[in-house]
Amino acid sequence: MTTQSKTPSYTINCRMSYEAAALERLCQVVRVRGFRIAKMAVETADGALDIALTVQGARPVAMLQSQLEKLHTVAEVQLATPVTASRIA
Amino acid sequence: MNGAQHILKAFHRRDIDTVFGYPGGCIMPLYDALVDDARVEHVLCRHEQACALAADGYARASGKLGVCIATSGPGATNLITGVANAYQDSIPMLVITGQVATGLIGTDAFQETDVLGMTLGIVKHSYLVENTDELPAILEEAMELAQSGRPGPVWIDIPKNILLEEPAAGPDSTLSEPSSAGSPNLDDAAEMLRAARKPLLYSGGGISLAHAEDSFREFAECSGLPAVVTLKGIGNAGKHNPYNLGMLGMHGSRAANRAVDECDLLLVIGARLDDRATGKLEGFAPNARTIHIDTDTAEFNKLRQADLAIRGDLNAILGKLTRTLREAPLTISDWQQQCRTWGTTGGFQAADNEEPLAPITGPSFIRQLSRIAPDDTVIACDVGQHQMWVAQHYQFDRPRHHLTSGGLGTMGFGLPAAIGAQFANRESTVINVTGDGSFMMNAQELATIRRYNLPLKLIIMDNQCLGMVRQQQELFYNNRESHIDLNDNPDFVAMARAFDIPALRIERTDQVRRGIETILAYNGPMLLHVAIAREENVWPVVKPGGSNREMIDETRRFAADKKEKTA
Repeated sequence: MTTQSKTPSYTINCRMSYEAAALERLCQVVRVRGFRIAKMAVETADGALDIALTVQGARPVAMLQSQLEKLHTVAEVQLATPVTASRIA
Repeated sequence: MNGAQHILKAFHRRDIDTVFGYPGGCIMPLYDALVDDARVEHVLCRHEQACALAADGYARASGKLGVCIATSGPGATNLITGVANAYQDSIPMLVITGQVATGLIGTDAFQETDVLGMTLGIVKHSYLVENTDELPAILEEAMELAQSGRPGPVWIDIPKNILLEEPAAGPDSTLSEPSSAGSPNLDDAAEMLRAARKPLLYSGGGISLAHAEDSFREFAECSGLPAVVTLKGIGNAGKHNPYNLGMLGMHGSRAANRAVDECDLLLVIGARLDDRATGKLEGFAPNARTIHIDTDTAEFNKLRQADLAIRGDLNAILGKLTRTLREAPLTISDWQQQCRTWGTTGGFQAADNEEPLAPITGPSFIRQLSRIAPDDTVIACDVGQHQMWVAQHYQFDRPRHHLTSGGLGTMGFGLPAAIGAQFANRESTVINVTGDGSFMMNAQELATIRRYNLPLKLIIMDNQCLGMVRQQQELFYNNRESHIDLNDNPDFVAMARAFDIPALRIERTDQVRRGIETILAYNGPMLLHVAIAREENVWPVVKPGGSNREMIDETRRFAADKKEKTA
C-alpha cells in the first residue's frame, strides 16, 4: 500500500507466556484493533516469549497497549514511544 | 481418577450443579463420567448453539458461572455464536470441548477443527490441554478467570486421550491474585460532581456483572442524579426512581437522549459507550465532562476521552461515593426538575388500545404484560423490534430480570436463554418474548422445554416478517424491501402442540389480557402466538451512524411525508 509510510509507526515490547497459540493471540489483537505488523522479532527465555513488534496504525496506540495488557498470558507491554495518557485514578 | 472425572470434581468444588451440553465422539469420556455423578445436572439441549446460549442465560439470571459442553468439530463450531454472544456481553462462561487425541491433532482427523485458532477473538482466554497433568490446574484457573475482573467466556479444548488419562496430583490453580486497583481516590470525582450543574448518571451492564446492583441503587437514590441506562443496564435504577429517564441511544427515549445532550457532566459507570447507545460520537454529550468508572482499564478513552477515569471494584467505589454524597448532598434541584419534565413529556409512551376489535400493537401488548406479570418475572428477549419494545415499555426493577443480547444481537438467543434462566430460578416466572424470525432460529429447543417440563412461557410477536430489517429498509433504503418476508411461517400453535406444549393465538386487543393471564396461570410450559401488524415500527429511532439529537419519531415522520406529498 502506498499509504504505508504515512501511517504512524510504533515499537512495542511484549513479554508473554510460551503457550499454545501465544503469537496468534497477540497478532489477532493487533489486527482487530486496527494495526498492522511491520516487523516482529521473537525470543524464548525462561518459559516466556519476548516479542519486539513494530506496528503501524492510525488509531491511538494506547488503545492497542491496553488491549494487549488484557490478554491473560501477557505479563508486560512496553511502548518504546511513550504516549500521553489521560488521568486514571 | 481420569481427566473427565477431574472435571466433575472441579465442578463440585465450585458448586457448579447445572451444565448445558450435547455429547459426541471426542467428549464421550466426560459423558461417561456423568453417568456416575449425582451432583451435576446435565441439561441436554437440541443444538450446541442453544447449549451455549442457555449457559449464557443461566449466568445472566443467576450471577453464577454458566457452563456448556460439546464435542469436537461441528459440536465446537456450533457453540461459537453462543460464546461470541457471551464475550460481547462479558458473561462468565466455561466452555469445554472434546478434541481429537493428541497424536491426531493436525492430521485432519475425523471431527477435527482448530478450535483454539478459530475462537481467539471471542474468548477472554482459551486453552488447549497438551499434557494430562496440566488439566486440574487449567480447570481451576479457567473457572476463576471467567468470573474475575471483567467476566467473559473461557474455553478449554481437551483431547480425548487426556480425558481418559489420569493426571498426577498437582497444584489446583496457577492463577495469581488479580491485581488490585487499590483504593482509588474519589475526591476528584466528588469535586466534579459538586461543580456540575447538570450531572447525569449513565450506567450499563457492568453494574450487575460486578454484583453491584444494591450499591448502585443506593448511590442513585442518595445522589438524586437523573439517570439513563444502556440496553444492558435496564433495571439498574429500579422502576420507582423518579429521575430514571430509561434507555438512551438508537431506540432510547427522547428524554434520555435530551438529557445526555444537555448535561454538563456524564458519570459513566459499568458501561462501554457502545455505538448503539452513543450514536455519532461527535454529537454525543457535547457539553459534558466525563467521569468513567469501570473494572476494565481498556474501556477508558476507547471511544470518548474521559476527564477522569477510575478503575476498581464498583461496589467499593459506589459505596464510597454514596457516603461522600450523603454527608454533603448535591444541589441540583433545577436540573432534577427539568429531567422529570422531560421524563413526563419525552419518556416512552404508548396508548393502550381502547377499541376491542383493533389489531394488537407491540408497545401496548408489552405494557399490558408488564402490568400483569409477577414482580420476579425474568424476561428473555430475542433480537429485533420486540426486543426494543420490551426495553422501552416493560418496567424492570432489577437488571437480572431482563436478559437480552446486547453486544452481538443474536437472533435465537431468547428461547435457550430462557431455558437457562429457568434452571437458575426454578420458582420464578420466566418468559421468552420473541419474534417470528428469532423464534425459528432455535425452535428445536421446544423439545428441551418439554423434556424437562419447564414452566416457561413463550410469547411470539408475529408480524410475518423480519420487522427491524423491514423498518430500516422502509426508513433508510427508500422502502425497498429485500428478503424480509416470512408470510410462510409455520402454524406456531400447531408447532408447539407437536412438542406437547399447549398454545393459543390472539389477534385482537380485547384478547390480550386474557391471553397473558391464561399462559401465566397455566401450570407448565405454554405458548402465546400474538399476531401484530406487519407495518408497525419501533419509535423513536436514530438513523444508523446519526447523532442521537436527530431522533425520528412517528409524528415527525408522518409530518415530513405529508409535507412531501403536499409539495
